[in-house]
Amino acid sequence: MNDLPLEQRLEILADSAKYDVSCSSSGSNRRGAPGGIGGTSAAGVCHTWTADGRCISLLKILLTNTCIYDCAYCVNRRSNDIPRATFTPDEVVRLTIDFYCRNYIEGLFLSTGVIRSADYTMEQLIAVVRKLREEEHFNGYIHLKIVPGADSLLVAEAGRYADRVSINIELPTRRSLALLAPDKTREAVIAPMRQVSGLISSARAERTRSRKAPRFAPAGQSTQLIVGATPESDLEIITLSEGLYRRLDMKRVYYSAFVPGSDDRRLPALPVPPLLREHRLYQADWLLRFYGFAAHELLDEARANLDLRLDPKSDWAVRHLHLFPVEANSADYEVLLRVPGIGVRSARRILVARRHARIGEPELRRLGVVLKRARYFLTVGGRYLGGIRLDGAGLVARLLAPERRPARLDQLELFPAAGDASALTGEL
Amino acid sequence: MRYRYDGSFEGFLCALAMCLEAGQGEGEFLRPDDDGQGGLFSGAACDVATDMETALRFRERFVAQVSRKAFATLRYAFHSEAAGVENLLRRFVAAGLEQGERLQRMLAVEPIASVYRLSRKVAHEAHRFTGFVRFREVSWPAGEGEEQGHASERPTVSFLYARIEPEAHILPFIASHFRERLHDRPWMIHDLRRSSLVLCDRGTWRLVRGVSLASLPGLTADEEVCSRLWRTYFQRLAIPERHNPRLQRSLVPLRFRAHLVEFDGTA
Repeated sequence: MNDLPLEQRLEILADSAKYDVSCSSSGSNRRGAPGGIGGTSAAGVCHTWTADGRCISLLKILLTNTCIYDCAYCVNRRSNDIPRATFTPDEVVRLTIDFYCRNYIEGLFLSTGVIRSADYTMEQLIAVVRKLREEEHFNGYIHLKIVPGADSLLVAEAGRYADRVSINIELPTRRSLALLAPDKTREAVIAPMRQVSGLISSARAERTRSRKAPRFAPAGQSTQLIVGATPESDLEIITLSEGLYRRLDMKRVYYSAFVPGSDDRRLPALPVPPLLREHRLYQADWLLRFYGFAAHELLDEARANLDLRLDPKSDWAVRHLHLFPVEANSADYEVLLRVPGIGVRSARRILVARRHARIGEPELRRLGVVLKRARYFLTVGGRYLGGIRLDGAGLVARLLAPERRPARLDQLELFPAAGDASALTGEL
Repeated sequence: MRYRYDGSFEGFLCALAMCLEAGQGEGEFLRPDDDGQGGLFSGAACDVATDMETALRFRERFVAQVSRKAFATLRYAFHSEAAGVENLLRRFVAAGLEQGERLQRMLAVEPIASVYRLSRKVAHEAHRFTGFVRFREVSWPAGEGEEQGHASERPTVSFLYARIEPEAHILPFIASHFRERLHDRPWMIHDLRRSSLVLCDRGTWRLVRGVSLASLPGLTADEEVCSRLWRTYFQRLAIPERHNPRLQRSLVPLRFRAHLVEFDGTA
């Protein structure tokens, strides 16, 4: 299978890698070093976007798509009849450097199918990144997959070369994991995550004492959950994410709408991937990380799934109308952040600008605050911006009302606001 | 009073310093290519010499009285090259020298708000281009050899060459980013809209204005291979079930695609 020309193997291995949704190149800031190539910038850089609107920031590729496991949701499962291919470490190194020089990418995201054993596979991955770092002096971004079940010494070594490491949970509950991925156990996934989390925080602590202390995955760890392959509710998913953020100091949890492709009877027959649900989960995830929301505020046992019509913040606000409207000139930052339509940037600008002078509606506009939704939840100098006070149902109707542009009848618009796209691309 | 400066940021600071010193409320700034046909009563334009010392002194004064950040805002906004930006910035600077560090809180007050908006736009575009610049490995000189068969005996240099057509003059903001990353490799980014380019060799870069290339540099053989691999990879990475060209178009607007290798010809 290694006789295929490089281009064909690139096709096969890109095909196999594309369902991993992690894309960011952020969280690490390293200047280039003499004699080497590359550097990283804290905010990350997106280089291009494919026809499905997902960003390419890293060369996301598998070392091999041969796998000893047979997880039902995965394209690379043992029983799937697809072409298999393998790269040599040199080929991956060459591709990374060549693509990097031309500014196609920020770095490498290397993952792999599992061959022989978890340890052996992990060693192969480490061999590639070691070569990149030590022989080519590559200083760009490296995201490395940790193979569940790999020895803890190998995990520790991986983090020395990588900026970010990830272990995919894939399925939110033990039950689903046992059903769809019988070769993996929950413990095999969670244990290395715990270990990585410990190594990251101890390396960080060491570095506050000595600048020479070795780094360990300075951009932290991330993981991925598949949405829609199993019957878990949004509440279970969001609660799990919250736990990962709080207890394991996870940088990102990615959500991947399940793309049906197999006729395995253990999997649901979805006509299309649940993209809108995935989008709402990302919005809820952002609320957890940047807006001070807790999972139980967004969802509870009685409403276990996010409303697909309305973004989770508007949905929350409509259910808590007694807290609104708030006064733009005096509300705290945390309160402003909870106003639908006001994001981190708008809230910060309001805070700065109101120290100079009182804010009215024209001032809000000048600050770039989008009032389309926010107006129903704000007063400026005591004046309510939303016109007539509406009850919950009336307000929902107003929030859902199409703007002047008539809605297209032929296709449901999944991503109506361009500003929302950042949730999908992993900017920030 | 009307001031004619050389179009550079340093030149503008000198003109600004002169204008503020004259103490007049109004001032008009002309770039070399402006024909300066003001009104019937406008006087002759005063030519301002670009002097690095004066520009630096002006910068120091502004940073001391307002802040480093506000100066960065001024610099970004200037490079938007928007019509009338000089006058906007004159008012911005005058307000800054009067208000001191309070200027930074006047985000919602015109003309400060407009200056911040312009500055954000330029900064955003500069960041975007740290991703959208596409280098091609070219050999130079090219074209002279003409017939591919007999490559001339003269040695050719190969280096990385990129073309861009940004809305704002972002070269000064992205040059150090690429210098840092590409290190000792020589590279060149060519802004076709402004006929300017940034050259970088052995870790130092400089901006050259008024450049037009007599011929297209020829791509190296490696470049052909590498860009083909990249196109293949790019095509393959899209998930057909998630096809969403509208979203793609809002993220990579068509105007950027002409110089993106992976969109070659599909724009």
